[in-house]
Formats: sequence, structure tokens, C-alpha cells
Amino acid sequence: MSLLETKQITMRFGGVVALRNVDVHQDANETLGMIGPNGSGKTTFVNVITGHLRPAAGSLMFDGNSLIGRRPFAIAGAGLTRTFQSVRVFGQLTGRENVAAALVDAQRPLDAEGVAETTHWLGLDSRLDVPAGNLTLFEQRRLELLMRLVQRPKLLMLDEPVGGLSSAEVRAMIALLAELKTRNTIFIIEHTMKVIRELADRVVVLLAGEKIADGPPADILADKRVVENYLGSVDA
Amino acid sequence: MTSTLNRWLPHAVFAVLAFGAPLLLSDNRYFAFIAGITLISVLWATGMNLLYGYTGLMPMMFAGIAGISAYMTIGLAAIGWSFWGAMLVSSLAASLIGVILGLPSLRLRGFYFTLCSLVIQTVITLGFVYFVNLTNGDTGISQIPLPEMPGGGSLSGLAYDMVLAALAVIGTVVLTLIVHSQFGRRLVAIREDDGLAETLGIDVTRQKMIAFFVASVFASIGGALYAPYVGFISPRSFDVLVSLNIWLMVAFGGRGTIWGPVFGAVLLAPVPFLLQDYYTIKDVLYGLLIIGVIVMLPAGIAGGLKGPSRKAAPATLKPERAQ
Amino acid sequence: MSDAAIIIVMSTITTGIMLGVIFSLVAVGVTIVYGSIWMPNAANGQFFLLASLLAWSASVSWGLHPAVAALLVIGASVPFSYLLEILLVRRFYDVPNRNVSYFVLTLGITQILAGIFSVTYGVWSDQFQLPPIVPGVTLFGPFPIANNRLASMGIATILLAALFALLRFHRYGRALRAVFQNREAAALRGVDVRAIYRMSFILGNGVIFAGGVLFACAYSVDLTVAWTMAVTAFAIMIIGGPGSVLGALVIGMVFGFTQAIVSIFASPTIAAFSYLGAMLVILLFRPSGLFAR
Repeated sequence: MSLLETKQITMRFGGVVALRNVDVHQDANETLGMIGPNGSGKTTFVNVITGHLRPAAGSLMFDGNSLIGRRPFAIAGAGLTRTFQSVRVFGQLTGRENVAAALVDAQRPLDAEGVAETTHWLGLDSRLDVPAGNLTLFEQRRLELLMRLVQRPKLLMLDEPVGGLSSAEVRAMIALLAELKTRNTIFIIEHTMKVIRELADRVVVLLAGEKIADGPPADILADKRVVENYLGSVDA
Repeated sequence: MTSTLNRWLPHAVFAVLAFGAPLLLSDNRYFAFIAGITLISVLWATGMNLLYGYTGLMPMMFAGIAGISAYMTIGLAAIGWSFWGAMLVSSLAASLIGVILGLPSLRLRGFYFTLCSLVIQTVITLGFVYFVNLTNGDTGISQIPLPEMPGGGSLSGLAYDMVLAALAVIGTVVLTLIVHSQFGRRLVAIREDDGLAETLGIDVTRQKMIAFFVASVFASIGGALYAPYVGFISPRSFDVLVSLNIWLMVAFGGRGTIWGPVFGAVLLAPVPFLLQDYYTIKDVLYGLLIIGVIVMLPAGIAGGLKGPSRKAAPATLKPERAQ
Repeated sequence: MSDAAIIIVMSTITTGIMLGVIFSLVAVGVTIVYGSIWMPNAANGQFFLLASLLAWSASVSWGLHPAVAALLVIGASVPFSYLLEILLVRRFYDVPNRNVSYFVLTLGITQILAGIFSVTYGVWSDQFQLPPIVPGVTLFGPFPIANNRLASMGIATILLAALFALLRFHRYGRALRAVFQNREAAALRGVDVRAIYRMSFILGNGVIFAGGVLFACAYSVDLTVAWTMAVTAFAIMIIGGPGSVLGALVIGMVFGFTQAIVSIFASPTIAAFSYLGAMLVILLFRPSGLFAR
């Protein structure tokens, strides 16, 4: 049984169909990637899965339970969590307070030792007593990760995790995620193949709200439809 | 150890001041009365602080809830209840009513929540005016019986002031306990970014409801004790301007801190009395004060504490709504 | 139908139209300001009252012809708004969540104006009404209507039509709507956003002032009108859809007729209750209003 299974997800905004009959499945410990041009519906998809939007149609099963219609906090409680395209932390609170906020209602939190270990792994040991808004973008992205990891999620959806980072930082983040994927199931949403290619076991391609391909990165890169409509025009 | 001292020392100081002021002023009933009103204002400001300073909501119906409790207490006492029993039941009832009235609006954000609670406050005030049988309408209720003392006799004068002081101190203690609890942590997260809080698994609506209830208890107890102390109430005693004044005490003193609003209350509550002779410009002065506070912290009202984590949103029409 | 019945029906209709156009004017003014600079103007009722009172002073105390007084007061609203904009309003243009700040700011202004009124006009008189612009009475069958009211109604309707045309078809209207939707995009297209803000504030207030003056022509005004009008205007804006001029127009007329009909049977308090109730229902179930895009 898949960890995550969505069937026929359709989302409308007024007259615009943002997602049409999207089927996505992900097994535990499988790294899934989702790519598509800006506006193809990737973030909308994440918003639907995490309960911020209610789809017009479709089903959503996570770990054997239906999550359709559940509120975002309940979905997070079930172990499905996400990060944001524009990094989002509590800017006025210190890193430590940010982590405390992530722990307060975590259903299966890490113990103190686990938190310390993860903090150290993410290189944030000395940076937790500063207001989070004063951290560099890369540090904030790592803080975001820390806040999710202390909750021991079953599935972590990362919405454009390298957005805004310098090339050196992108390399560092990819290395981080490569290690992360061995311990957690992650779902990466990106609009370039660069990150996805190195990390994903399988890739779903979204174009104008529809899934046009689903397979290992090598297959995707060779798929004529994908290359024509999307990759051909993008630096893959 | 020092952090415990840091946390509780100000309370000890405040307790000394709260109980001391009425004692020192006991010869002059007028000034002692001002002190008493200030103490009630501290209680109210502390309750409003929980919602505004720590949860980020601006509840304009605060005074209305205090009023419901006040009228209900008087009503129950009139049919034979003891004041204290009446106060207890009325405070609970008013707080429940507050949550019920406020509940649907808790899904709204920012201005829409404020507007909704303003409408609810207006409805409550209209209700006070309209249901003359229960409230005596605009004429108001005077000759309000004083609370009974356990040993017989009525609570009045210095003893009443002491009770108010005790409540003000208890109020600040309760708020401090909340702020340093898990509940407090949740509220701060909600204040800073309720969308992110929800993503982290916090049931935002439920927490707001609880905060609402607790703040309403502050409002209700204050209201029940206000009526006999002042000796006269009317719908005007609990209208939107009163809510605004309490809000002003919190904003002026500094939201998000325990003692800021206390300072605000201590500074602002005596003002109407000291300006008694200048009653003509009282409204103008309050208006200027409100404007002054807003201008000096332009981003402070709902946005300031949501600093770098949120970019300034372009002017949009649609209200955001927590899903 | 008997003459008495005709009179009642016509009276209700004309009251409905009269109130409707005034409500619409004020609601449009409030909505223009909300939709452009995101300011919910809680002081709109006091501005309305200010216009009525100043026009009264100009015509009764100074002896000017009411039409002249009206024009003067509406004209005076321009520097008044300009001053407010420079001193207070423009500080908040780049503040996030400025709608809440503006709401509180305008509550402060409301307090100040209310305080001033209660010790000036409040002391001088209970009721204020302008002398008629046009004297005399016209008969529609058995139903007499003051020419003054006809004139007021007519002018208000023309104003509404002009406003609607301005916002729909004129370049300013398009710029305004561009700024409504997305100010960054509008700025990129060369729209001077701050100028639009300033103009909208001045225009919106001017319209509210016009409403106040025209209302005082037809009815006598007392100080409580400010509060009633503010509640009504907000209710109309929220129900019609914040920022929607069409919504303000339609719902304004609906409110006007509702008030006219309800006041035959019940007290104004009931009307106020029902407005507030309707506003609550919309806020809770369809916060974007009935006419939102």
C-alpha cells in the first residue's frame, strides 16, 4: 500500500481549472519529485494535499487514512507536513522558540537528544538564539527543515527547497537532502530538473494542471512530450 | 533560580502597589475610587492583552461581554441570589456567550475579525438599550446593591478596593502562568503567523476559542464588580468606546508584554477623572490619543510583530480566511 | 386604489429612492477608499454629518443660498481630504495589514469629530436642515412631493451615474481598478500608484460629503445620524462586496427601500438590528460579499 495516494484531484478557482484529474502515489522511503513550469499547479497541489484548499473532486489517502476535508493542523498531525516556496519561519522569535512552536503540538516528537542531534546535523547549533528573521536565507531554510524534522513526519513535502540559494548553497542543500532521504520519505517540488535529477527515484511532471508523465528521471528526460512542452525551453 | 525571581518579583512589587494605593488613599474617597477603577482597568487590560498582545486578535466586543455579566449579576441578585454566586454564574455565562458570539468570527482574519466583533458589540449595545425590561434601557440602573461580606454587612470602601486589588494581582499572575505555558506558546505562534502555526499542527481555531473564553472571564468578573462599585450602569458603560479604551491601554502600554498594558491602564484609567472639568474635550483627547498610538506604531496593530517572516502584501480585496 | 393608498405607496417609493441614492453615494465613497488604499473609513458617518452641519451653517448662519452652500462644502472637502492625506493617511501606504491600522485611525478621527460636534452644534440645536434649494411642491396625482426633495434625488442620481461612468470607462477608473487588483503590476505599467491613492481618498470623501449635503437638503439631521450612517455604509459595503462599486450601488438602493418599508411598521432600531444581522451573515458565510469578482 502506498504511503500517499491521490486520485483524480481536481481543483477549480472560479472558472479556472488549476488541477485536473491528478493521480499521484508515493511509497514510504521512495523519493518522489514533481516538476512543472510556474503556474502548472504544483503549489496548488501541495495546498490541496495539506488541507489548505478543498478540491472539487478526488480522493486523498495517507497511510491508509482518508485526509480529504481534514483541516491543515490535523493533516500535519497525521504525519504529512510541508515547507513553503518562500521560506516561512517566525521571524520575530528566536530559532529555539521556533523549534518549541513546532514541538508544542507534535504528535510524535523527537526527544531532547534527537532535537539536539538534528540541530547539529543541520549546522544550526550556534544560531538558535538569534531572531529567526536575522538568519541568512540558507539558515532559514534549514531552520524550516529542523522545525519539520523534530515532528518526525511520515512524509515531508518540500516546495522549491533551493529557491533563492546561491549555487554553492544549492549544492550543500542537495547534499543535505540526499542524506535526509535515507531517513525520511520526502516529496520534492521544483521547477528545474537539476535538483530532482540527483535526488528523486521517480518524477511526476505537471503541465497546466495535468499530469503528463510519471517515471524515473531518466525516462522523463527522454520523454518527447515532456522535452517538447517543458524541458526543451528550460535549463535542465 | 534568577529567572524565577525575575518572573515573580514584578508581581510582588505590583501587589504591594495594588494593595498599598487604596490604603494610602483611604482618607480621600475620591482618589481611592479612582484607584479602584484603575484596578478594574488593569484586570480588563490584562484580559484584552491575552487576546490582543498574545494572540493577535482585536476583540471589540470585550466591553459588551463585561456588560452582559454586569446586568446578569444584578438581575440574579435582584431575585435573591448572593452576589458572589451571581457573579460566578454570570461570568461563566457571559464568557460562554462571548465564545458563541465570537466563534464564527474566529475564522476571519485581521480587519474582518475586528469588524465582525465590532458589529457584535454594536448588537450587544443595541440589545442593552432595547430589552428595557431586563436592563432598564438607556435610563440605566442605579442603586445597585453592594456585594455581601462573609461575616455580614456589605463590601464597601477600603474592603472593596482590596478585593479589586486582589483580582488585579490574580489576573496578572494568571496571564503570566499562561504566557509561560504550552498554551502561551501556541498563542504566540498564532499571533506571529497563524498559517504557519496551523501547518505545524496547532489547532488555531480551538486555541483562539480558549483564549477568547479566558479573556471573557477577565471581562466578566471585571464587569460584575464594576457595577456595584460605581453604583450606576447604562448601555453606555459597556459600549464600543469602552472596548476601544481598554484596547488603547494595551496598545499604549505595549502589547506582548505582561506589564505594558498594566502601565497603560495605570496611566490612562485616571485620565477621564482628572479631566472631569474639561469634559468637553475628553472625546477629542481620546481621539488624538488613539491616532497618536496608531501613528507611532503604524505596523504594530496587526502587522508589526509579523516582521521579516512576511512580505508586505499588495493591496488585495479578498479577506484571507483560515481554512 | 384609494387616494390614501396611492399616497402611502408613492411616499414609500420616493423615500426608498431618496434614501437609496444617499446610501449608495456614501457606500460608493466608502468603497472607493477601501478598494484603492484599503482603508475602511470608520469616520464616514462623521464626514457625512460634518458636510450637513457645515452646509447648514453656511446657509442658515451666513445666509448663502443652499445650492451655493452645498457646492462650497463639497469643494471644501478637497483641501480637507488633502490635508488628512498628507498628515496621516500616506504614512501607512506601505504598511502590511494597514486596513486594521486605518480602521483604528478613523475611529480616532470619529471620536475627535464627535467630541467637537457635541460641544458646538450639539449645543446650538437638536435638528439641522437646509432651506430648500427649490421651493414649492409638485403633485403626482394625489401625492405631493417637495421640489426640494426631487432636486436632491435628481442631483444624487446624476452624481451616481457620473461616478459609475468615471470608474467604468474613464482612464482614471481603469487605473483605479488596476491598482485594486495588484498595485505592483499597476506600477510596472506606469500607473502612479500614490497619485491614484490620493485622488481616490479625495474623491471618496467628496462623494460622502455630497451625500451629507444632499441628505440635509431633504431631511433634518441630528447628531446620531453619523453613527447610523456609518453602520449602514459599512453594512452596504460588506454585503455588496468591499471595493465593488456596483455592489455599493445595488445594495445601497436595497437598503434604502428596506428602510422605507420597515419604518412603516417598526422602529429604526429594528432596521439597525437587521442591517447588523445581515452584515454578520455575510461576514461569516461569504466574506467577499455578493458582488465580488
